[in-house]
Amino acid sequence: MKPRHASDEHRLSRLVNIGLPYLWLGLFFLLPFVIVLRISLAEPQLAQPPYTALWEWVEQGILQIRLNLGNFQLIREDDIYLAALLNSLWVALMGTLGCLLLGYPMAYAIATAPERRRIPLLMLIILPFWTSFLIRVYAWIGLLNANGLLNNFLLWLGVIDTPLKILHTQTAVYIGVIYSYLPFMILPLYANLTRLDPTLLEAAADLGCRPFRAFTRVTLPLSMPGIVAGSMLVFIPVVGEFVIPDLLGSPGSLMIGKLMWTEFFANKDWPLASALAIVLLAVLVVPFVLMQRLQQDDEGGRT
Amino acid sequence: MKRRSWPLLSVLAFGYAFLYVPILLLILYSFNESRLVTVWSGFSFKWYGELLHNRQLLDAAWLSVRIAAVNATIALVLGTLAANALVRHGRFRGRTGLELLLTAPLVMPDVIIGLSMLLLFVALQQTIGWPDGRGFSTITIAHITFSLAYVAVVVRSRLARMDSSLEEAAMDLGARPLTVYLRITLPLIAPALLSGWLLAFTLSLDDLVIASFVSGPGSTTLPMVIYSSVRMGVSPQINALATLVVVLVALAVVVAGFSLRRR
Amino acid sequence: MPSPSDRRPLEPWQDPKAAPYVRIDRVTKQFGDVYAVDDVSLNIFQGEFFSLLGSSGCGKSTLLRLLAGLEYPTSGRIYIDGVDVTDVPPYSRPVNMMFQSYALFPHMTVEQNIEFGLKQDRLPRRERAERVNEMLDLLKITPLRKRRPDQLSGGQRQRVALARSLAKHPKLLLLDEPLGALDKRLRENTQFELVNLQERLGITFVTVTHDQEEAMTMSSRIAVMDAGQIMQVDTPTAIYEFPNSRFVAEFIGSVNLFEGKIVAIQGDDVLIEAQFGGLMRMRSLQPHPIGTPAVVAIRPEKLRLCQTPSDDGVNRLQGVVEDIAYLGDVSIYRIRTGGGTLVEMTLTNIQPRTEQALTWEQEVWVEWSPTSGVVLTD
Repeated sequence: MKPRHASDEHRLSRLVNIGLPYLWLGLFFLLPFVIVLRISLAEPQLAQPPYTALWEWVEQGILQIRLNLGNFQLIREDDIYLAALLNSLWVALMGTLGCLLLGYPMAYAIATAPERRRIPLLMLIILPFWTSFLIRVYAWIGLLNANGLLNNFLLWLGVIDTPLKILHTQTAVYIGVIYSYLPFMILPLYANLTRLDPTLLEAAADLGCRPFRAFTRVTLPLSMPGIVAGSMLVFIPVVGEFVIPDLLGSPGSLMIGKLMWTEFFANKDWPLASALAIVLLAVLVVPFVLMQRLQQDDEGGRT
Repeated sequence: MKRRSWPLLSVLAFGYAFLYVPILLLILYSFNESRLVTVWSGFSFKWYGELLHNRQLLDAAWLSVRIAAVNATIALVLGTLAANALVRHGRFRGRTGLELLLTAPLVMPDVIIGLSMLLLFVALQQTIGWPDGRGFSTITIAHITFSLAYVAVVVRSRLARMDSSLEEAAMDLGARPLTVYLRITLPLIAPALLSGWLLAFTLSLDDLVIASFVSGPGSTTLPMVIYSSVRMGVSPQINALATLVVVLVALAVVVAGFSLRRR
Repeated sequence: MPSPSDRRPLEPWQDPKAAPYVRIDRVTKQFGDVYAVDDVSLNIFQGEFFSLLGSSGCGKSTLLRLLAGLEYPTSGRIYIDGVDVTDVPPYSRPVNMMFQSYALFPHMTVEQNIEFGLKQDRLPRRERAERVNEMLDLLKITPLRKRRPDQLSGGQRQRVALARSLAKHPKLLLLDEPLGALDKRLRENTQFELVNLQERLGITFVTVTHDQEEAMTMSSRIAVMDAGQIMQVDTPTAIYEFPNSRFVAEFIGSVNLFEGKIVAIQGDDVLIEAQFGGLMRMRSLQPHPIGTPAVVAIRPEKLRLCQTPSDDGVNRLQGVVEDIAYLGDVSIYRIRTGGGTLVEMTLTNIQPRTEQALTWEQEVWVEWSPTSGVVLTD
């Protein structure tokens, strides 16, 4: 515990350690969101910058404030935005479930492997992560193509007669999401599972519990924090994903990340894009707060 | 846990196959003379040759590497400071705020970060005249902002697990706090500092969306070049690039593994 | 067999003109609502081997850390060698500490560990090397000098930790559970070594321990602590033979506690009507009003078998042997009186086991002398 007789060195270290990161994040992370909010209330115009000012002095002493709620109205009224948002949430949900279904057994297998094998196994999970995310998503283009490897393989096996259209469908997006985000699910799960007390399972066995039941009654509930942490690490970013739906998805099924990109780059409608960002942020606040609350609980329980 | 569970092991094997087959295929087809994935027309290095003559791509790669290096170094410093604050300064005023600010970039969708930072730079330019144009500095600043959150996570966990009695012993032996930090703490968390730097480097090198938002004319990063190539479909030069990246990373991991074992 | 602590002829704490080397003046340390150290005052004299003894949570480690400067008191002052060090940070105090976990720097060799403190003092290279060699020699660890901590055994690490903490020739050395991590054989040898070392170097040692045997063997004086407060400060002999409270009596070794009431005073002795139904006459030089409830503490080895059993008389009781624990050199007998009181008696096995003094269910008479126990009134 640091003494309350803070020496000068101590005070300086507090200032530097707390102050500098706060300053940077406040300026370059927080402030931008304020600006996004401000611009979401503006109108697009053909000028530099391509949005109107919110206030101006029209005459001496009179300040005119123009807040354009039209962007938000548009989002509410035009179905395309709601559809994109719902689709994004759905894709994120499916992707998270997929990662969980594949990731949990993998994490469990690694966590229960003999001690010396765990690190190499884990390294093999992390290794793809160090190679380019973009390139790995791109790899699936060749695989899922009508003329691609998967189709050719299935045709060769005789399982299908005509090539399946997987690329540029929602399915391809699911595959891409699970492929890219699997490590984000496995790592927190692994961390949680390795911290579990193995004697709990032994106690359960001693009390007559069969292995599967011991798993569902003891291990699964105790690994909840890991499940939630991993799920949040997948769900929240996937909602706003751009690259995967752009490269692998169909032009028809929109996701909100792609919509924002299009509004911004193609339509040059900065205010609308900003409004979409605000809406997305509002939606993501709920799972984010949930994740924070559970982090704290987990940490509180451990001390 | 002593019994081998076959269903479990097969899921594990499937998982690894799922992760690695696409990569291995990329590598395989980087040596395919034919452009098409379906036809194998012979072993060839020609795509590698084309890759190494691709001026645009090489310039972009160099730019990305420089941005990544600067970003990693600054993010390492800021992230380590933040980790110090959270681990060593107890319950200070604004602690929850800092925790939030350090968690949000980890999960925030890239499009939001990219959009918001661009708008910041535009607004800054309007009010104080800087940044004059968007490019190296704006991309680097944007990258540092999310990288430092990752660095903080890595460093923080190592710092928290460090035995604080070592620092106390150093103080007891006459070392002032700064000396303790430089001679005892930092050497002991060095592995975390290294992985933090590498993590920040990789994330920066890999970023497409944010760079697209905050870059300007003349500052095209490697991911941006790759993206424009692959939008159209399969591109064999990219296969070659992918292979090079994978080989490089695998080598780095093997080297790291050996040097760790030697200690 | 005399313990090392008996050899010291001087008892500076008896000398009213002696100034204490360490003076702890009404120190309190609060952590939130918890009083880890509660209004403690203590004087420690130069050359002492002083032990803080107590069970975990009693505040002894906190008190040690307060002396080291790793914690600052909530209130009170601390003086070392006459200087007020209460606000002085640990790196500026003339004190060094040996940590329970040894806290050896894992990324440095044994030599570098020992040298660390000297480097902080900016000692020139040659002197540093000399001092390091001196320490290596003193603790007999010279062959280990180039090794790293993870290449050392527990006992070796302890010596390195000790060498490191002595390298700066501190006048005051603090030791936190110095023998805790050692196995029994090593512990006994190290006890003697530590005391010899301390006497040779003339350093004041303050140690923290929960092991009473350790404290009794090594210390010049012991402070028994409980719940942040000091219960008694005295030589090991005095603590054992003359505990000042029930807590201290029960904390050290085994003890029989007989409840009763003071019914008369006879010169230097008091007469006590005991709950087990008999009368006790015990030496007690403190004034006690008649009628005060009292507890008489008698150690099991002070009880004797009565040669002439009889019903009347003071300082005796009758009971039945309920339990026998054979420990080789001694046997512990548990005797139940008619009134239900349990009494513990220790007898040396002068005769081999086949000819025991007592057997189960045997009726015995036990007696003691007036000076074989203390009278405690809270």
